Amino acid sequence: MLQLLWIVPALPAAGFVVLLLLNRHLSRRATALIGAGSVGLSAVVAILIAVSFITSPPPGDAYRQVLWTWFDTGGLAPQIAFYLDAMSVVFMVVITFVGFLIHLYSTEFMERDEGFTRFFMYMNLFVASMLVLVLADNLLLLYLGWEGVGMCSYLLIAFWQKDVQNVYCGRKAFIVTRVGDTALIVGLFLLFTQLHTLEIQPLMAGAAKNWAAGSGVAVAAAALLLGGAVGKSAQLPLQTWLPDAMAGPTPVSALIHAATMVTAGVYLIARTNVLFTLAPDVRLAVAIIGTVTLLYACFSALAQHDIKRVLAYSTMSQIGYMFLALGVAGWSAAIFHFMTHAFFKALLFLAAGVVIEALGGEHDIFKMGGLRRKLPTAFWAFIIGAASLSALPLITDGFYSKDLIIETSLGAVDGNAWLWLGALAGSLLTSIYAFRLVFVVFFGEQQTPVTLHPRWRMKLPLVVLSVLSVVGGFVWLPGWMGGFHPFETFLDTALPVTQTVAGSFAYTGVAALLTSLIAVVGVALATVWLVESRAALARFAARPTPHDVQTFWLNGWGFDWLYEHVFVIPVKWFARVARGDLVEPAFSGIAWLNLQAWRALSASQNGQLRVYIGVAGVGLAVIVAFVVLR
Amino acid sequence: MAAVSLDHGLILAAILFVIGFVGLLTRRNLIVALACIEIMLNAAGLAFVVAGARWGSADGQVMFLFVLAMAAAEVAVGLALAIRFRQSLGRLDVDDADEMKG
Amino acid sequence: MTSGDLITLLPLIALTVTPVVVMLAAAFYRSHALALALTLVGLAATIVSLFVAATRTGRQVTPLLSFDTYALFYIGLLTVATAAVAILSWSYLQRRHVHPEEYYMLLLTATLGGAVLVASTHFASFFLGLEILSVSLYALIVYPIYRDQFVEAAVKYLVLAGATSAFLVFGMALVYAETGTMTASGLAPILSAGLGGQDVVVALGIVLILVGVGFKLAVVPFHMWTPDVYQGAPAPVGAYVATVSKGAVLALLLRYFWPVSLDTGSSLFLVFAAVAIASMVAGNLLALRQDNVKRILAYSSIANLGYLLVAFLAAGEQAAVAVTFFLVAYFATTLVAFGVVAALSTPERDAESMDDYRGLARTRRWTAVAFTVALFSLAGMPLTVGFMGKFYVVTAGAGAALWALIIVLVLTSTIGLYYYTRIVVAMWVRQPDENADAVGAAVGGGSAAVLAALTAFLIVFGVYPAPLIQLIERAVATLP
Repeated sequence: MLQLLWIVPALPAAGFVVLLLLNRHLSRRATALIGAGSVGLSAVVAILIAVSFITSPPPGDAYRQVLWTWFDTGGLAPQIAFYLDAMSVVFMVVITFVGFLIHLYSTEFMERDEGFTRFFMYMNLFVASMLVLVLADNLLLLYLGWEGVGMCSYLLIAFWQKDVQNVYCGRKAFIVTRVGDTALIVGLFLLFTQLHTLEIQPLMAGAAKNWAAGSGVAVAAAALLLGGAVGKSAQLPLQTWLPDAMAGPTPVSALIHAATMVTAGVYLIARTNVLFTLAPDVRLAVAIIGTVTLLYACFSALAQHDIKRVLAYSTMSQIGYMFLALGVAGWSAAIFHFMTHAFFKALLFLAAGVVIEALGGEHDIFKMGGLRRKLPTAFWAFIIGAASLSALPLITDGFYSKDLIIETSLGAVDGNAWLWLGALAGSLLTSIYAFRLVFVVFFGEQQTPVTLHPRWRMKLPLVVLSVLSVVGGFVWLPGWMGGFHPFETFLDTALPVTQTVAGSFAYTGVAALLTSLIAVVGVALATVWLVESRAALARFAARPTPHDVQTFWLNGWGFDWLYEHVFVIPVKWFARVARGDLVEPAFSGIAWLNLQAWRALSASQNGQLRVYIGVAGVGLAVIVAFVVLR
Repeated sequence: MAAVSLDHGLILAAILFVIGFVGLLTRRNLIVALACIEIMLNAAGLAFVVAGARWGSADGQVMFLFVLAMAAAEVAVGLALAIRFRQSLGRLDVDDADEMKG
Repeated sequence: MTSGDLITLLPLIALTVTPVVVMLAAAFYRSHALALALTLVGLAATIVSLFVAATRTGRQVTPLLSFDTYALFYIGLLTVATAAVAILSWSYLQRRHVHPEEYYMLLLTATLGGAVLVASTHFASFFLGLEILSVSLYALIVYPIYRDQFVEAAVKYLVLAGATSAFLVFGMALVYAETGTMTASGLAPILSAGLGGQDVVVALGIVLILVGVGFKLAVVPFHMWTPDVYQGAPAPVGAYVATVSKGAVLALLLRYFWPVSLDTGSSLFLVFAAVAIASMVAGNLLALRQDNVKRILAYSSIANLGYLLVAFLAAGEQAAVAVTFFLVAYFATTLVAFGVVAALSTPERDAESMDDYRGLARTRRWTAVAFTVALFSLAGMPLTVGFMGKFYVVTAGAGAALWALIIVLVLTSTIGLYYYTRIVVAMWVRQPDENADAVGAAVGGGSAAVLAALTAFLIVFGVYPAPLIQLIERAVATLP
């Protein structure tokens, strides 16, 4: 069964090729079947492989499938090979299954769009690339997948390319993540030159053997990989692209910018955890980046009024939680949260898509309202999703994963109280903004009429994801609930066990109660402010200082403004000033030089046969003179 | 028969070769150009014969036969081409053939 | 010559018998289809005969020819390329209502010349092979006859080829006069010693021989005929000139220089290096704002030969593998590119203007995909075999520490990206032109099959080059 591993990425890739070549000749139905079907089949195979892997694990708890050696020269012989362990099983199943649900949803969501085939073409390529990324056995292949998802992200954000603003959003995403990608490739070079291999398992073993903890080269390598992860996962300081990425169609936001691509950074760090263990300072940086980002994003989410931007910042903050977990060596906890987050975030985005389509394309939540009776499926989906996001106790999967992270942030050997407090504060804010969204969109007065109702292809994924958002957490219960944690046991075969401080406050019932309470308090606050006394809140927000703060948070704490002023404007100014100066001609000079050279050479080709002979003769004479006189 | 020294033979061949080459460069008539190529080829053939004489083997003369045969084939095609050239472009001036350039 | 030798000679015999058969068939019954069928049968028989000849152990047939695995591999390559050109020529000639039977005969004799060249170990076979190839090409270039550009291209090619052949022969004569040897093995120590310490006459002779070779390879400064002939010749013939004619000569060059290790300071090395650099630079620059697609392909072929020479200069076994691999990649890519041009041509004119390709992705999706893959391969984009070829060349060059050459290679490749992307953009982004007359009837079955197979080759071996590399290594290992 495990030999079928290569089929999992191959199916969506084949879907891409078929849609590329037969573009014009396919009906909507055929495209939908191929596009969604390839991912669906892939999901089936993935689940079968997962079941096989769990019930009869391969030796060493890892399975390696070598397809072929790409090329073999001078010590570098990268193979097209896949590596399956517990972690990649989780990622593979989530990507294919959630991906399939989103593809199914898209067949209805995008049905009136003229770029229908193009959409599924890009989506299939994306799923294939993402699978290559998580299944790659060596870093070169991983990088191939990394670049692939980046390119698809760009293509899909800018999907509605007739509006040039969408293209700019795509371009921004591409450029900002490029900064991270550059760090990543430098990191790969460093790893290869130091350890002479790019295969992940030998690389980790080699690093553990040859590099001392805290040594410069380990720190450099880990830091560079972190740079790449930060860009792809939209953490500070490379997070500005994610809110703007919401310009793409909602299924794109659900799949790429919530469930999968943005978690690539998490995957990378977890995969190369040995390097981060060897560089504790960098790992601490991971935790700090995670915590700061999650707080930053929560505040920003509070002030947004575009429904998708709220969810975008929410994703940013939840990934911050995952980074926090990674930073304190809570490797499995991060993966657990990845899984639950994929479920409830995709759910939220898909439900948001239903709302947006139903209202004829309205994104502003303050123009929504009173939808709970008109769009019941979306309403219940949203409630469950928001509850899961807020980690409401016991009945949501977010509770199990997020509270585990909060626990680990204090209770792990590398945990500390500041991280814990940050995580708790984030939890409070999360509940507030999540239920703010629920109340504003679904309660109160209806502002915009509902013109479209979802049908089964949009409703079914919502139902399935809702169920998963509730039960998905039951695979890892906390200690005080009985210690039923097959998920952790499963992941322990692939990731190091988190070292915890015995008897830490984090593991007491009090701490758990506190964490749960905070989440509920947040919901309560949101209810009070937004349901009971909305008017009072509006009056408060209108006052100068609160208003300025709100605007500040709305604009993402001014990071765009900051980058614009620190990077973009000075570069443009410099370009303007230097025009006609030294620097400009250096670049346009190269182009001019090439053009002049072309003109000169082209003039030499004057069509005259005797000139051709003459040139040959002159060439001969020169060569002879050179040879004879030397 | 008094032997012609290698050097003299090669110099003669070289002179003929250069004459042919210069003719190729300067003359515009296509037939004359073909003739100049012939001169060059025959000069090379002469060089081969002289070289063969120097080494006392028949190789040089055999190569000369090859050269001759090949030159004949080339001229056959070349003259047919010259006829076509005249038909297309009106006259046998090689400089007329400059439609394609750049 | 023993009967065993005859078996070794089987490939050449097949390549000789086939054109005779085609010619006789045409004499009795003129049929385009029959001629093509006989041609393909003959070429297939040649391929089969390669395996038969490979069973023999004594491969040197007279001092003139050596059919080692290297020669057999190249003969196979040339034969496959010729078959592709023949199939691509079918629809091209069919539309023009000429009597094309002799065309196939000439194609076969040209391949015969090429086969002799790759097996040659002696000046006599070198010269004969080269001339059989050249004379066949003179006629092939002008074959359809009825357009002035064919005639012009053929005249230019004939005069220049004739002149440089004369140089070649004269050079051979000089070398023979001074050294008494005409064989590759006899030449090796002379080449190794470089040209500096040689008698002037020998040095002059070698330079003259290289002039002849340089013309056929279309390297600077013997390149000026290339754009005119590629533009003027019928598209399939352009494909043939670009691939088989160059490949055969390069294989010969590699064989003659195989036992030679050139000192990096020697004159010969510097001459080659200068030629390589000049070709890379001039080839890429000349294509920059060129609007004629065939001329772009011509200049690109000049540049590609420059890249090849870099690997050639690296010398050694790895470099020979790199040269051969790059050549195979170049063959496939060029055949696709010219094949697309041929497929899109009409009887009035070839599809050579950039305007003919505007919006091709909309009107002819598959053809545009094939051409795009070929252009990306020429540009050296990863996942194509062109990238693997360039990678191997750079690796070989780095192994021999030819840093200046590699830097030039990388820089000029970047220039190359510009004009290849221009065509790709024209195909995919621009709207189709109203004068769609240049885009002929739908691409015929045979041509489509060939193009599809070759495009698949470009991608498959870009991702999985190992089997090809192993085959080439086996072939190169047999060089003495």
